Amino acid sequence: MIQKTLYILLIIMTPVLLMAHESADFLRSTGKIYSVVLAVVLIFLGIVFYLVRLDRKISRLEKEMLD
Amino acid sequence: MKYSWWKILGVLLLLYVFTFGFLVPLKPGIIAVSPVSIEANHVSNISITGYNSNYQSQESSLQVWLKIDSTSGYQATSLRVNGERQLTATFDIGALPDTTEALLLVVNAEDGTAIRPRAVKINSAEHQPASVPSKLSALPSKTFQTKAGFYFPYRSILDETIRNTFFHVALWMAMFVLLLIGLYHSIQYLRTKRIEYDIKASSYSYAAILYGLLGLATGSVWARYTWGTWWTPDVKLNMAAITMLIYAAYAVLRAGIDDIDKRSQLSAIYNIFAFAAMIPLLFVIPRLTDSLHPGNGGNPALGGEDLDNTLRMVFYPAIIGLFLLGRWIATLNIRIETLRIHKLQSDL
Repeated sequence: MIQKTLYILLIIMTPVLLMAHESADFLRSTGKIYSVVLAVVLIFLGIVFYLVRLDRKISRLEKEMLD
Repeated sequence: MKYSWWKILGVLLLLYVFTFGFLVPLKPGIIAVSPVSIEANHVSNISITGYNSNYQSQESSLQVWLKIDSTSGYQATSLRVNGERQLTATFDIGALPDTTEALLLVVNAEDGTAIRPRAVKINSAEHQPASVPSKLSALPSKTFQTKAGFYFPYRSILDETIRNTFFHVALWMAMFVLLLIGLYHSIQYLRTKRIEYDIKASSYSYAAILYGLLGLATGSVWARYTWGTWWTPDVKLNMAAITMLIYAAYAVLRAGIDDIDKRSQLSAIYNIFAFAAMIPLLFVIPRLTDSLHPGNGGNPALGGEDLDNTLRMVFYPAIIGLFLLGRWIATLNIRIETLRIHKLQSDL
C-alpha cells in the first residue's frame, strides 16, 4: 500500500514540479539556479524510486521465507 | 545494516559536494546585453546587465570595451551606472570594413574582467566614405584580470547551471565506473561460471542504468532551460540515448529468460558487447562532429574553458561520492539476490 502510494507520488510529482514553475519562468531566474535544483531533485527521486524497488524485492523475499 | 567505511565516505563526499557545489559563488559575468546589433559609424547606447557584479561601488575603476580583434577595440566613451548590476555604455563606433561580432568586456578593480563572447554585432555601413576614421584604440595590456578568491567560472548561457557539472556530468562519470565493474564481473562469470559473479555483474549494471537514465533526465531538464527544448537531435544526446537503449535491452534480456544458467551466460556475453558498443557511442562519435553540448565539439575532453581547477575541486569528489552511492545501491541488490539464490538452493 505504502509502496503504491510512493509510486503514484513519484509519477505525479515530476510533471507537477515542472508545470508549476514553467509559466513564471521561475527556473530561469537568478542565473537558472533552480534548473540545477530541479536536476538534483530528479536525482533524488530516481534514487528513491530504486529504493522502493529494492524494498519490494525484500518484502517479497520475506513473504516467501515465512511461508 | 552493514557499516562500511566507503558508505560513510560516499555520504560525506556528497555532503561536501552539495555544500560547496551550491555555496561557492560564480565570478562576475554579463547576463544580458541590449541591443545586440548596432551600426558602425554611429554613436550607440548599450545597456548591460551584470551578474554578481559591483558596478556602482567600483564605478571609478569601471571600463567597458567592445573588442574587435586581438589587440584593439572600442572603449565606451561614457558610462551611466544604475546600481550594482545595471549600466548603460555609450560607444562611438567608427568605420568598420566588415560586419563584426564584438566581444564585450566589463572591467573593474573588484570584479576583474567579465566577458561576453559575440555580445554585440556591429554592422558595417554600406557606403562608407573613405575619410571616416576607424576610431579603434589599442586594448590596455592588463584587460584580462581574474577576480581574486575562490569562485566558479562564469560562462555565458550556462550561468549557474555550470554547477550541473557536479550532478549531471558526475552522474555519467560514476556510471562509467559502475559499468566497468559490471563488465569485470561478467568476464569473471564467463571464466568461472559462478553465480555470484552474475549477481554482481547485473547489480552493478542495474545501478549504472539507473544513473544513466538520471543522466538523461537531468540533461533534458538542463536543455529545456538553456537551449529551450527538452531534446534536440544533437550527436551527444542521441548517442547517449542509444547507449541507454542498449542497456535497457540488457535488463529486458535478463527479465525474459527464466533458466538461471542460460540467463547468466547470455547476459554476461551481452554485457561485454554492450560495453564495447558504449565506448564509441559516448567517447568517440561525439568527438568526431560538432556538438552543442558544453565541453564538446572537437576534443576538449575534461579541460579548456568548461572545467577549471575550482570546479575540479568539487567535480572529482562528486564522481567518487556518486560512485560509492551507486556501489551501495548495487550491494543492496547483490545481498537480496544472493539470499534468493540461497533460498532456491535450500528449497531443492
